[in-house]
Amino acid sequence: MTDSRGRTAWILVLVPPIAFLVALLLGRYSVRPDEAYRALFGFEGTSDVLRSLILRVRLPRALAAGCIGANLAVCGAAFQGLLRNPLVDSRILGVSSGAAFGAALALLFSARAAAVQGSAFVFALVAVGLVVIIGRRFGSSTLVIVIGGLLVSALFNALLGLIKYVADPLSNLPAITYWLLGGLSGIRWVTLPPLLVITGLGSLFFLLIRWRLNLLTLADAEASALGVRIRPLRIIVIVIGTVMVAASVAIGGMIGWVGLVVPHVARACVGPDHSRLVPASAAIGAATLLILDTIARTALPSEIPLGILTGLIGVPAFFLLFLRFLRARGEAR
Amino acid sequence: MRLTICWILTLAVVVLAGEVAAEGVVELVDHAGETVRIPQPIERLISVYGIGTFIVYALGVGDRLVMAWYVGVKGISSASEGMLRLEPRLEELLAFGDPNVEEIAARDAQLVLADASRHATFAEQMTEIGVPVIQYLIETPETLKEAVLLTGRALGPETLERANVFVSDYDRVFSVVTSDLEALAEDERVHVLFLGTDPMQVASGDMYQTHLIEAAGGVSVSEELRGYWNEVNLEQVLLWNPDVILIPPYGPVQPEDILGNPDWASIGAVRDGRVHRMPRVIAPMDTPVPESLLGLAWMATLFYPDLVRLDLRTEVDRFYAFYYGYELAEAELEHLTGR
Repeated sequence: MTDSRGRTAWILVLVPPIAFLVALLLGRYSVRPDEAYRALFGFEGTSDVLRSLILRVRLPRALAAGCIGANLAVCGAAFQGLLRNPLVDSRILGVSSGAAFGAALALLFSARAAAVQGSAFVFALVAVGLVVIIGRRFGSSTLVIVIGGLLVSALFNALLGLIKYVADPLSNLPAITYWLLGGLSGIRWVTLPPLLVITGLGSLFFLLIRWRLNLLTLADAEASALGVRIRPLRIIVIVIGTVMVAASVAIGGMIGWVGLVVPHVARACVGPDHSRLVPASAAIGAATLLILDTIARTALPSEIPLGILTGLIGVPAFFLLFLRFLRARGEAR
Repeated sequence: MRLTICWILTLAVVVLAGEVAAEGVVELVDHAGETVRIPQPIERLISVYGIGTFIVYALGVGDRLVMAWYVGVKGISSASEGMLRLEPRLEELLAFGDPNVEEIAARDAQLVLADASRHATFAEQMTEIGVPVIQYLIETPETLKEAVLLTGRALGPETLERANVFVSDYDRVFSVVTSDLEALAEDERVHVLFLGTDPMQVASGDMYQTHLIEAAGGVSVSEELRGYWNEVNLEQVLLWNPDVILIPPYGPVQPEDILGNPDWASIGAVRDGRVHRMPRVIAPMDTPVPESLLGLAWMATLFYPDLVRLDLRTEVDRFYAFYYGYELAEAELEHLTGR
């Protein structure tokens, strides 16, 4: 038992770096591994185009894919535990709708890419801030939080519709539609620092409190019977998780399924204990998105929208997990 | 003294080098307001913007394309016969969707034509890896002319000359139509409804289609609508009661669908049988492509056959021969000048 656990842990540690290296080597512009190595470490004798492609296109994009995959998966795992609902993902509390509205608002005023990301990030936080305020006002039970998320999402979706209605159809509207499709083709170094910092600090937070996350899965009454006040912790986890998801959505747009399915895959690998589930989700999430984004930019002459790929992989993966669950309960053969 | 001479010589060399470099580089400001530096000559060109692709063909340098996006073509099977005849390499060139930076670098492009409303970040990335990008924002006759001139300048002196010919041609057709219709009273103008890919979808006042209708002396009944294609209901169409209904050369709607539908029977255009689908052999001439010059001529001669002196047949023949180098078969000519 310990042996197989140990092996799983090693695999989980190794897979994201391998996926990362593969992502740097693969692309429409074909590169031999030694050329890539030389370009990456600045040796002489590589073409300028090749070096800028690897350093300015592939490297930031691979970093972003890894960070976003890890963020969505970690927050998905945390929120599933916290809301005691295996069917939620990191976007349940209105992060995506807030970010979409923020981005659309900035695009309405023809803002630059950095301003669009900033606005998406801020409104993602505003949306979840509203949910938290509703939650605190009415006792922070999971029901209140989920209903609050539903209402705030609906509100921002309506506001997004309003912006699309008034947007200039020939310049702003296509830009908004395009942003909403998501994907990592627009990643550049200048857009990356906030994501890297937030991913680093957020992951550290979740690593440090991963033991206490188990408490959050208890019902309020059980927890207070143990003498733990879980409501403040619940709010802190929501806020930090939201910041991580907001930073991801602001850069990558709507990337579905990762936050829902990856925690379940991780649970199948390491079990439901959050002290192992959180790092496992991070590793699997990062590797998954790295692989899918590599496919998205390599398979066809034009980019495949990332959301389509995550859906195509996520749906069957979810179905297989569900089948396993049914079999375990003896309801399917 | 010697030092001074040295300095002067160095300065002279630097200045001369600058001159030479300036000759080999075209610098222009595109519709996104970016200054683009384009080393000459451009032999390998990629257009990720469908309208831009047709500008390249009209300028007679389609052979320099190494990859291109085409308006309304998302696969070789949806390409028209005329398109395939104009571009025998279509299968090799055709792409659609979100452009991939690496693919474009791999095809060794020296210049990329893009859409300012969709490709701003893509343009920054391409510029970073050293490939210049011209971004267009074409929504009016004026911006179309600018775009053709920009493209002409970017591709060399001969192409620029051709771009100038196009602009004077475009202006000529506009002014002939305008002067022929000068005497037209406001209440004699035909009221036109421009449909989209569904009978309940209409063109807004912001779209190029509306500019063409107005230039052709018509009044767009849906002119007050903003946005892109607008959804409307039959009641609104009955209220507008257009004299002419136009259908774009793409999408499934056919005149028979409108003419044969009893719900539409009371509309003036339907009673008079003035429901027409625009013809298409190569580009959709209701969109801001150079061929929209024919779109204007087609509309003006359709609206006011007795007033407008333009000979549509001559215009069509001339445009296809001169701009596309394409000899129209009799059936194609019939189609383009038919109603």
